Amino acid sequence: MKQALKSIFLLLLCCQSYVFAQTGSITGKVTSPDNAALPGVNVLVAGTTTGTVTDLDGNYTINASNAASLTFSYIGYITQTVDVNSRSEINLQLVEDATSLSEVVVVGYGTQRKTDVTGSVAALSTKEFAQQPVTRFDQVLQGRVSGVQVTQAGGAPGGDSKVRIRGANSVLGNNDPLYVIDGFVGADYNNINPNDIETIQVLKDAASTSVYGSRGANGVVIITTKNGSKGIRVTYEGQASVSNLIKEFDVLPAAEFAEIVNARASAIGTTAPFSDTEIAGYRENGGTDWQDLVYRIGHGQQHQLTVAGGGDKTTFLISGNYLNQKGIMNNSNFKRYILRSNIATQLNDDLSLHLNLFGSGRINHNTDGGGAITQALAWAPTTPAYGDDGMPTFTDPVGSVYRNPLDYLYDRANDQERTTLNAIGGLKYQLPIDGLAIELQYGVNYLNGQNKILNGQRVSNNNSNASRYSFEQITLQSTNSLSYNRTFNENHNLSAVAVFETQEFTDNNFTANAGGLRFPNQLGYNNIGPNASSTVSAGFQKWTLLSLLGRVNYSFKDKYLLTAAVRRDGSSKFRGDNRYSVFPSLALGWRLSEEQFVKDLNIFSDLKLRGSWGMTGSQAIGPYTTLSAYNTTTPTVAFNNTGVVAGIYQGNPGNPNLKWETTRQVDIGVEMEFLGGRVSVEADYFHKSTNDLLLNAAIPNYAGGGTQTRNIGEIENKGFEFSFAGTPIERGALRWETSLNLSTVKNQVVSLGDLPRLGTGTGVGAGMSTTYEFMLIPGEPLGSYWGLNYLGTFKPDEADIAALQGRFPGDPHYEDVNGDDAITTDDFQIIGRAFPKASGGWNNTVTFKDFTLNVFFQGVFGVDKFNYTRAAALSGAGDARQFILTEIRDYYRPGNENSDIPAFSKTYQPYTQSSRFIENGAYVRLKNISLSYNLPSALLSDVATIRVFVSATNLWTITKYTGPDPESSSVGSGTDTAIGIDYGSYPNAKTYTAGLNITF
Amino acid sequence: MKKLNILLLIALLIAGAGCKDFLEEDTTGLLYGNDVLSTQDGLEAALTGSYKGLGQTWAFGFIHPSANAAVLGGDDVTTHPGSNKADWREFDQFNVPATNQRSNAVYNGCYKAIQGANNVINNYEATTGTQETIRIIAGEAYFIRAFSYFWLTRFWGNIPLVTAGEFSDDLLTIGTSTPQQVYEMIVSDLQMAETMLLDTKRDPGRPNAGAAKAFLADVYLTMAGWPLMQTDKYDLAAAKAKEVIDNHTTYGFELLPTFAAVFENDPAVSGTAEAIFQINGFAGVGNASNATYGNTAMPGEEGGWDDFFSELNFFYSFPEGPRKDVTFRTEFGRPGEPKIPWQESLTQHPYYQKWYIKGEVLTSSSSLPTVMMRYAHVLTVYAEAKARGTGGADQQAYDALNAIRVRGGEQPIPFGSLNALQFADEVVQERAWEFAAERTRWFDLVRLERVEEANANKNPADLQPIGAITKDDYWFPLPYTDTSINPNL
Repeated sequence: MKQALKSIFLLLLCCQSYVFAQTGSITGKVTSPDNAALPGVNVLVAGTTTGTVTDLDGNYTINASNAASLTFSYIGYITQTVDVNSRSEINLQLVEDATSLSEVVVVGYGTQRKTDVTGSVAALSTKEFAQQPVTRFDQVLQGRVSGVQVTQAGGAPGGDSKVRIRGANSVLGNNDPLYVIDGFVGADYNNINPNDIETIQVLKDAASTSVYGSRGANGVVIITTKNGSKGIRVTYEGQASVSNLIKEFDVLPAAEFAEIVNARASAIGTTAPFSDTEIAGYRENGGTDWQDLVYRIGHGQQHQLTVAGGGDKTTFLISGNYLNQKGIMNNSNFKRYILRSNIATQLNDDLSLHLNLFGSGRINHNTDGGGAITQALAWAPTTPAYGDDGMPTFTDPVGSVYRNPLDYLYDRANDQERTTLNAIGGLKYQLPIDGLAIELQYGVNYLNGQNKILNGQRVSNNNSNASRYSFEQITLQSTNSLSYNRTFNENHNLSAVAVFETQEFTDNNFTANAGGLRFPNQLGYNNIGPNASSTVSAGFQKWTLLSLLGRVNYSFKDKYLLTAAVRRDGSSKFRGDNRYSVFPSLALGWRLSEEQFVKDLNIFSDLKLRGSWGMTGSQAIGPYTTLSAYNTTTPTVAFNNTGVVAGIYQGNPGNPNLKWETTRQVDIGVEMEFLGGRVSVEADYFHKSTNDLLLNAAIPNYAGGGTQTRNIGEIENKGFEFSFAGTPIERGALRWETSLNLSTVKNQVVSLGDLPRLGTGTGVGAGMSTTYEFMLIPGEPLGSYWGLNYLGTFKPDEADIAALQGRFPGDPHYEDVNGDDAITTDDFQIIGRAFPKASGGWNNTVTFKDFTLNVFFQGVFGVDKFNYTRAAALSGAGDARQFILTEIRDYYRPGNENSDIPAFSKTYQPYTQSSRFIENGAYVRLKNISLSYNLPSALLSDVATIRVFVSATNLWTITKYTGPDPESSSVGSGTDTAIGIDYGSYPNAKTYTAGLNITF
Repeated sequence: MKKLNILLLIALLIAGAGCKDFLEEDTTGLLYGNDVLSTQDGLEAALTGSYKGLGQTWAFGFIHPSANAAVLGGDDVTTHPGSNKADWREFDQFNVPATNQRSNAVYNGCYKAIQGANNVINNYEATTGTQETIRIIAGEAYFIRAFSYFWLTRFWGNIPLVTAGEFSDDLLTIGTSTPQQVYEMIVSDLQMAETMLLDTKRDPGRPNAGAAKAFLADVYLTMAGWPLMQTDKYDLAAAKAKEVIDNHTTYGFELLPTFAAVFENDPAVSGTAEAIFQINGFAGVGNASNATYGNTAMPGEEGGWDDFFSELNFFYSFPEGPRKDVTFRTEFGRPGEPKIPWQESLTQHPYYQKWYIKGEVLTSSSSLPTVMMRYAHVLTVYAEAKARGTGGADQQAYDALNAIRVRGGEQPIPFGSLNALQFADEVVQERAWEFAAERTRWFDLVRLERVEEANANKNPADLQPIGAITKDDYWFPLPYTDTSINPNL
């Protein structure tokens, strides 16, 4: 949008270029501080209306008298005036305007000068990640904006990321922010090529987000893509990367494993599986390193080509991006293709037209981690990987009860393909009334998804099967707005916008499952017709949203600022009177730096106080939640041995009284700039309170089980956000820019209506956890782990306490909360908190001549993780029959009674859902370090600029977490009630990248 | 330009039109509402859904190992003292917490079946279609409901008694009903079922009138013991069992000539004529495949899971003969590989050959049925009930018992050679052998209050109870998933 405005401005200027023949011609080149050509800079003969703009290479030609001065201005840079002094060539390097007073930010349904913004809006410019090998949008956002937490939960290439703005409001709903790309509301950031991004704005407080009404409660991220400018510019960027595992679990060597298995067998009275000869053999020849077989060195490459340019009235940008990453787990990879075309044209003085199109394809192959990682820690190191037939060993006699990790890797496929086509375009017409414009914008998003799953004969335990799931989702959007923008009597600046918007979402899906595949090896999932049995189903979903909104911005003398907005949303998901809801907001700002008494202090180059209040909502439920529908897919019943009959059973009960979940938010912020903008500080306090919480309340199993969505209770998030940016060093060719952000969130369930507490499970720990892993309790945050408090082992002097529970010294000792001498569900308590209390990022860019060094740290604090991967490998639970981690060396036994690792006994009753496996998940990570070098332009004789770079990601991590990666987790990114569980999640990798960027 | 303005305004108007309908929910992909069960097809689909509660692999019901775990308190089965079998040991050691996941599958599944059955029962009278078929559908629903409550009250005692097919908020706070109340409903449901069902099963995996009567006989037998102690029910049990025995050809039930034929476990055959009621599995559909055979019953040496196997003293006392040979697996090793005698095996216990798939196929998904009651069971119900009831054991009771003994390789007991109680106990013992690891022994021990006695002299090499066994151990605590939501439970 900013680029589009710029282009229009530029075009307007072109129309006004008069030529004064009597004066001399001056040429020159305008560059940025890093010597890049600056296109589109306004060059004006001072005191006249004569002007031009620089072309794509930053060159200009202008006629001016010898005594005249030239004024160079460009958004984001300090305007400079230079005397001609009879010169015919004037080259100039513009200095960035750190105060950015003139910076324009996109605020949703319009733009505003940054100085006029009354809400909490963080702007992120491409500059901040330009030096880093980002391939995805979430990597751009991570650690760079205060109040925004990004966790790459799925470490696989193309894996899932979790983005939270100011905590999590909703128990039920998805707490992902709303993404708006070029005006398309509810876009998927996975489809954006980071190189196409012009600007990113993160709207955090209610005054900013209330214009998005029912979808604004989780914050809004507005992404604007680039457009071309006059001339032609071609950019190619290529990068290649290698990656490897950050850390493996420490596993017992085969011989020692065998000894420990034997020791356990003798303690519980079973036969020792290993003979001395066998153990000696393992000692000599080693065993199987399953982790080694699962992981590999990953490779990746990314190529992209951008062609941008335009003529006087029309500009365009066409870009293509190809990404291919082979993950660090064998046989896992991710491919992505993105093609974009942005076109804008000024039809006449009043009418402009734009159309942005993009298509993307994403293919995930086996990026779900899962089986192979947990099985690699369950299969015995003593079991050979392959049998005599050259195939992976089919069963493990002592370790896992389930399938070989190699079969999880190679005998199955889980392929997810997503194809997106998105078009958004419209026209803007300046009405004959001064300052009044009408804008019509229409968008369509088409998403095709194909999930293809094959489980071969081996991994399926001799029951090969395949499934195909295909869906088509179409979202239509129309946004019609009327805007008014005028200044009265110089002091009164008024802008207003009214919008009518509709959205319609349709999903059509189709599923086919086949069992007993006749040709699993030849046909895989591509032809599942030849089978012993098949089931099919189809589905259809639709929802609509109808909205009206208005906003008024008023400022007096650029000093006193006011924004008021209101949105009314109607959603098809609700019934009757609950269908519509209104979301108002009000914000006030005071630019103290415009006051004389502040100016007199001579400290601040900018000082603004702002405060806001507003309401946003959530309709974070699926369509049809008000209705009690039958489940028509699961109940297929066999009445004989030859097939199944399709039936129906009751699904989740509907709730006709559902209504909007509403979040009220108060925000107080201060923005300060010192030393002419060289140092800036921004701080905010926010308090969000969410009422009528949409909640999936568990229905007792005797009543059919499942859940019912209800409006219950209240959740609150409050916290501080702090960001600092500065340029500590600027001396000659050396420049160090640094920015730091820190944010805290205190999340708390205030009430759950009549319910004293509410459990939620994940299904992640199937076979591991015995009940809900999380409990919502008023006064406690979301994501509170529920389980027994592990006190270590019963010690010899505690034999009498142990005996009361039928245990012996060496058995696990859990806290008996109610003192009834039995460990029951009444002894469950909150044993950890998965909701991070604080997060931050520290980004540094050091430039010296043509070199740029970027060092970026990111951290998350005050968070616990449930390490089920470790629990499974250390407690004889799930599929693992034996203990495999080196930790077990220290098990309790005579002479080692201080150990808190339980003894081998027949009275051993492990609760994996205990504090024994809760770990501190806090970490600080060197997220990125990169060095880039711009080849001197002299070498390239001005035809091109070339930049080369090397970079390392996740190079260094400080954490107490014992798993491979504190960042990854097994639970999807949408929910916040059940988070932080790591059960064989695909870990993030250490990645080294080298790349090249050419522009000509 | 003026034209353009007009065009724009028209566009705006079009965009704004039709707002009222715009928010109407399009539910064409959704099956909901009261009409669903108004047709015969709808009613049949709901009945099918009700069966799903009895057999949704790894989630609901009986066709996966969980239902076997809950009866480990019997003296016929035990589990691994180590490995990953903690939640199995909890049953064998009388130390079952409310969070045990194994029993939940039976609990959740039975109630899911009940919900579906309630829906059919409450609506079938208004269903249009062939009345004969609708009657059978309702009869099967009554059977499923009774069957499910019978399992629930035997495992959990006092339980919520739900008859509503649709959810309402009232259900969230209901209390439990006593076994007396639950059994009243079970009896009345089975009495409905026996009149509404036909003599032949519509499919191998469905009940007929004979199945309803057989279960009613078993229910009466159970009511006569702990906890209700309604000894007058012995006569009813005997009479009902006799109905089945006297008409077994009508119902298609028979005692197969050899014990081996009963446990051929050939997935290519849809069960045998000895099955009174079975829940079918189908390997081609994941959540319908039967996981109670194969891996779960096999030793680690053969790629099995060591989930359950025989208690030592039970094996030692088991009478020799063809039945013992079929029941147990005493040498381990995959086909073609050297065999290890059980005494030298990892767990040093004999396993249950009964739960092997024909050809020793190593898998956890088969198309075999899980038989919930065999005709042999009806014979023993008659024999025991008759002996404990009015008049004592008659010739038919002896014949019933002897038919099973002889097939198992034992000598027949001459008519009149035992007094009534001795004979009844002989039947109970015979049931232990005949139905070893078939989820029968535990219920016998409970209704006869012999759990303590049966576990008093365990082989030292078997798992020992944790703490003393009391009547509290006869029932399991209601699952935490439900008690944590409903404070009235």
